[in-house]
Amino acid sequence: MTTPSPISRRAMLERSTLGFGSIALTSLLAQEGLLSAKEGDHTRPHFIGPHLRPRAKSIIFLFMSGGPGQTDTFDPKPLLQKLEGQPVPESIAVNVPKIPRSGVNSPLMASPFSFKQYGESGIPVSELFPETARLVDDLCVIRSMNHRIPVHGPGECVALTGTALGDRPSMGAWMTYGLGSFSGDLPGFVVMLSNSTGPAPQRPGWGPGFLPSRYQGTVVDAKNGVPYTAMPTAYDDKSRRSQLEFIKWMNSQHLAKQGQDSELEARIASYELGFRMQTSAPETFDLATESEANRKLYGLDNAATKEFGTQCLIARRLVEKGVRCIQLRNGGWDAHGSLESNHRAQSRAVDRPIAGLLTDLKQRGLLEDTLVVWGGEFGRTPTTEGSAQGAKRGRDHSPAGYTVWMAGGGVKGGQIIGSTDDLGFVPVERPISPADLHATLLHALGLDQHRLIYSHNNRDEIPTVFGGEVVREVFA
Amino acid sequence: MTHRAKFRLFAIPLALLAWQAPAADRILEDSFESLDAWKLSDIRPAVIAEGGGVMIQGTLDRNNPLRRELAQPFRGAEMFVRFQFRYDPPEDDGEFFVMWLDRLDGGDRAVHAENVPNIGVHVADTGPKKGKTVFIVRIGSAKTAWSTVEMQRGRTYSVVGRLSKSEAEERADFDRFDLWVDPKADELDKPDATIKHPQGVNFVRWIGFGTGRKTERGDKLYVDDLVLSRTWQDVLNRSESPPIAQAAPKPPPVPDFVWKQPVDFKTYVFPLLKTRCFKCHEGAKSKSGYRLDVRNEILGYSTGDPLAQPGKAAESKIIEHVRSTTAEERMPPVDGGGEALTEKEIGLLWAWIDQGLAWDEKLLPSPNAKSDHWAFQPVGKTSVPKIKRDSWIRTPVDAFIAAKQEAKGITPAAEASLQTLVRRLYLDLIGLPPTPEELSDLSDWSDEKYTALVDQLLDSPHYGERWARYWLDLARWGESHGHQHDIPRPYAWRYRDYVIDSFNRDKPYDRFITEQLAGDELQPYADEKLIATGFLGAARISGNDMNKAAQRNDVLVDIVNATSSAVMGLTMECAQCHNHKFDPLSQRDYYRLQAFFVNGQLGNLTLRDPATPNPTDLENWISGGAYKFYMSEAKKLVTKKTFAHTTEPHTWGFHAPATSDPGIKRLPVVNRDPIPWDAEDLKAMKARLLIRGDIARPGPELISGWPEVLGPTPNSPSRSDFAKWLTDRQNPLTARVWVNRLWQHHFGKGIVPTPSDFGTQGSPPSHPELLDWLAAELMQNGWSTKHIHRQIVLSATYRQERKHDDANAAIDPENTLLWNWPRRRLEGEAIRDAVLVATGELDRTRGGPSVTPEREEKALRRTLYLYQRRSEMPDVMQMFDAPELIASCPQRGVSTVALQPLYLLNSAFMMRRAEALADKVYLFAGDDAARQVETAFLRTLGRAPAVDEKQHSIDMFAASSDKRDALIQFCHALINLNEFVYIP
Repeated sequence: MTTPSPISRRAMLERSTLGFGSIALTSLLAQEGLLSAKEGDHTRPHFIGPHLRPRAKSIIFLFMSGGPGQTDTFDPKPLLQKLEGQPVPESIAVNVPKIPRSGVNSPLMASPFSFKQYGESGIPVSELFPETARLVDDLCVIRSMNHRIPVHGPGECVALTGTALGDRPSMGAWMTYGLGSFSGDLPGFVVMLSNSTGPAPQRPGWGPGFLPSRYQGTVVDAKNGVPYTAMPTAYDDKSRRSQLEFIKWMNSQHLAKQGQDSELEARIASYELGFRMQTSAPETFDLATESEANRKLYGLDNAATKEFGTQCLIARRLVEKGVRCIQLRNGGWDAHGSLESNHRAQSRAVDRPIAGLLTDLKQRGLLEDTLVVWGGEFGRTPTTEGSAQGAKRGRDHSPAGYTVWMAGGGVKGGQIIGSTDDLGFVPVERPISPADLHATLLHALGLDQHRLIYSHNNRDEIPTVFGGEVVREVFA
Repeated sequence: MTHRAKFRLFAIPLALLAWQAPAADRILEDSFESLDAWKLSDIRPAVIAEGGGVMIQGTLDRNNPLRRELAQPFRGAEMFVRFQFRYDPPEDDGEFFVMWLDRLDGGDRAVHAENVPNIGVHVADTGPKKGKTVFIVRIGSAKTAWSTVEMQRGRTYSVVGRLSKSEAEERADFDRFDLWVDPKADELDKPDATIKHPQGVNFVRWIGFGTGRKTERGDKLYVDDLVLSRTWQDVLNRSESPPIAQAAPKPPPVPDFVWKQPVDFKTYVFPLLKTRCFKCHEGAKSKSGYRLDVRNEILGYSTGDPLAQPGKAAESKIIEHVRSTTAEERMPPVDGGGEALTEKEIGLLWAWIDQGLAWDEKLLPSPNAKSDHWAFQPVGKTSVPKIKRDSWIRTPVDAFIAAKQEAKGITPAAEASLQTLVRRLYLDLIGLPPTPEELSDLSDWSDEKYTALVDQLLDSPHYGERWARYWLDLARWGESHGHQHDIPRPYAWRYRDYVIDSFNRDKPYDRFITEQLAGDELQPYADEKLIATGFLGAARISGNDMNKAAQRNDVLVDIVNATSSAVMGLTMECAQCHNHKFDPLSQRDYYRLQAFFVNGQLGNLTLRDPATPNPTDLENWISGGAYKFYMSEAKKLVTKKTFAHTTEPHTWGFHAPATSDPGIKRLPVVNRDPIPWDAEDLKAMKARLLIRGDIARPGPELISGWPEVLGPTPNSPSRSDFAKWLTDRQNPLTARVWVNRLWQHHFGKGIVPTPSDFGTQGSPPSHPELLDWLAAELMQNGWSTKHIHRQIVLSATYRQERKHDDANAAIDPENTLLWNWPRRRLEGEAIRDAVLVATGELDRTRGGPSVTPEREEKALRRTLYLYQRRSEMPDVMQMFDAPELIASCPQRGVSTVALQPLYLLNSAFMMRRAEALADKVYLFAGDDAARQVETAFLRTLGRAPAVDEKQHSIDMFAASSDKRDALIQFCHALINLNEFVYIP
């Protein structure tokens, strides 16, 4: 931090970012070898990976907060329809792990939604996702996700950071730390929040944990884009440019008086980069250039789908700009009561946008380089909760078995991995933990979980601290 | 052909046997006369073999050719399985085959690997038979127990397994699977391999056979005569039929070595331990973390997890590991090339343990818990070094710095200019730049004036606000519970004010620490001391943990980690689950520290002084959404009668009913699902060592104490005793850690660069004598923090200018020897505060409730006073590396990212500041551009512009047609300059 060293590599890298653009930077870093980082040195852009052949360059995580019910979406259970209202058969209850709120002592609740098989693969999808269903041959549906944390906040932390405490880096931060971003003029990790009803977003889900704060997700508002990129009205391009030139000149004078100083140089460079972000970001967020057809594709023409559709469309544009990680958190899936109306409204808001995103990525040839992941922090019990009757009935949290799906980015579509028991309580085949999923996502991006190291408090930390194995059959 | 004949021969008597004695223990038997009961694979099904039994062939991929459902799922606690098996591959190229026991059938290709018990043959990837096909047993695929029984082609084997649960409960998992190959009736306790795995299946409904990638298409496997039974006797009855068992010669039975005579430790056990175990299990830094050279450690003294207990050899970990057939578990380790112990040696250990674990204290004395690590030695006397350049010395600090510089041939930079030094002192000591008025007062500069300025700034109430922030980082202080709901703690701000006030009054550091760790116990009682326990109280609390013991334990862990890190400079957190790998700190030490806190709990605690300000308008200091949330949660608790709204003055702190001042009253806490409060329960709470840090595995009870390496603990010390010990002059850490932090905040880097790790893995001090001198100085001067500040800021070292020097840089590129001023960026708080000073808008009101974002513009107070809900930190803090307030933060990072300039240039907040500054400048300078430039320079940078700077400034004005806009933009530019945001 106090280095008055001759021109440092960092300064050189910062300069090259400006001079040659990000590709030059990447290759330069590749020549530098794979650097791993230590605490305290927070200004240097690190490139650790990729360690493996990357299947995807970017990742879009469609995080359905609150927990969509697996038996209502991608894991149909005909037996559930038959046993409607009855207690959970002992033969199945006995298999449900002892976690609070497992719902085994409540009456079973049939899914209010019908399922149909789609595509060549014939994967069944509920009526909640008719549009996404058309792309089912691109989806790899994992029906056997499971963990043991039945509460939202810690569950969200498990789903996005690997542990419940929220004190470790988010996966997005790890990925950005490991790979940097192709986008020199946008943040490498962008987060958008939609439908803020239900449990509050968990900051650790996009936080840096013990990684340098530069790797945290930047929360972006779909309307206003990257924060602080809109110039105050007192400025126009000319006056801003002139102001930046003045700042640069003053900073250079200041630097010259002190001699070499890479930290000061980095700060000078950050103004250039900021300016580029300021001009580039609004472009990215300005959807006016999108065709009417494309806007429709994402559901921007409909009040229900507009919010999430806009975010999905922006996500695609961010991918085009080389942003590494995009996390769209959609709240409100926590259907303790009135599951039917909740899930209808929730899925209506996201189905077309998701289908639009996949279709659009595909037609632009981007899907093969972009990993799309859909899922919540857990699923929901096959039983109903409390004493509600009829349409008021809902389901409690169920981390013991739930569904996520992946698409694009080297994923072998049209397959189902794992299965749950006949009622959808627990996996009976190929159980997959959040840590397995994380290892798999990292793997897709070309990162080896065991070699993605950051030295914190004299300890070499890795993203999957409690284990986790790559689910290889996900990939083609 | 012959083998078929054997099969035939074998099948007949077995069928007869079964017919003769239909055992009640029998679960299933099948001699494969027909496959009707079986589900066959479509990929390549099993077929009935010509000579009887069933034939399976490979596919080079996963296949389950044959599987069936039991009539009833087996839900007992112990099951035996046996089958006859022969493998006929055309060539010996590594084989694979398993029989699995699962809950469900997974289809033709299912792997049955995740926690599913299976038994069969596989190529050993480790162990003495590495590369050979051996019989295996496993639960799941992650860990395999490789037997040493090598499979021979064409031989028929009788394979027996026992699947069992350690907990005989229906929903508990099968967690142990034993394997025998061609066992005899008396070999029940001598399996060929055993696997233990905490997660398995909890019942068996399906049984099947699987082949894999190593099973070639031409491979032929024969299975016959499958039996599942509840008893060993029953399952084995069937294998007593002679022909097959003899076909497969077994390795000769190992001699059964039972030592009947007394085992002499010195003669027999010690040499064995020494040659076979001590390589990894000896000494404080033993590679494994487990010591076999200390009897107490064998008894589990520091981990709570005994390796052996006298008289209990059969259950001992030592015996378990030396006998294990699982490569990963076997000791001495297979991977380390170690041969297994002989039966004789095992028998010896067994007898030694059973006979009482005799020991020879002379041979292996209990270790003296001492360490020669520098930081664990008492602070010694240090004399100020003599140096050549003594005219340079202003305070003794300089002598230490100069001595090192001289030794390396380094010359320090010249003294910085007056204006630089003044700005440096202001920013460093009070975190605010000087105002134009303050600057006008600096004519006829002299050393006396410098000293007077230092005094003035140290006496300024803003000094406490500046230095409190560093402590609040260490204390991981926030105004909410953290975790998911992050519910506000309405009166947590009292602790923030306590810290500010303590710095301002130069509260002796020993008292400062004592109050924070034991303020509730100290007599005579004072509100201030109770408020000080907000340090312990700053731990986060989950609002929805149903496991109440875990919820409590998380808080205790937080307290121990923060205390050891902030006050002691030790990274104790590793020792929560295991002995520290590098430092002589044990898990026992960790839980002894925890014992100081187990009888207490966080909460709202009443204050008594009638003069205590007691604002109750929460809505004015808790931000809108959080306030509404707080009130709705509070109402829920009111209906549950566990919370009553109160206007009694109270604070957020720590309270232990058994030892706190009896007058302290606890008010309920608003949280979704609070930690239960019961004073009597708390009084009775015992500290337990948690084995592997697992709340579900409580180990032995412990009494409170400090790490053994730091000296003996008297009987059951209280928290006050702990504080007394920490602040004793003999304590090697407290003073060193504190002066190092002060140094770090002045120079950007500590003398020990790892400020919260003074352990053996921390970086050594760059100037050890200086560190000790400062520590001694602190203690000798009544633990006065301000005294240390003076030693530092009055020094010549501190007064150097920032100047690069090639010659010095070549010798000391990191400026470790401080040959010029290590400029550093202001923290987010200080940047915002400095801007408010420049615009003249800073509201210098001190203390009291925080300011919500909604009220920010109406109360432009220091950033420290902005509402600090953990999940909702002020923008400027998030933007500039403020900590997450989850764990104690000894040093903030300095990241430089593009969003920072965007925030400073485009945020509404900074834009309003630019306007305010422009208005201020206009007020002084009117329309005169040159005067505007001078005024703005003075207000922001504290100096007059140089000629070319003035010219560039005026040039910039020309870019805007609107004069006011131009002035705003110019002012805005100034608060963005490196010169503005760095301490010069």
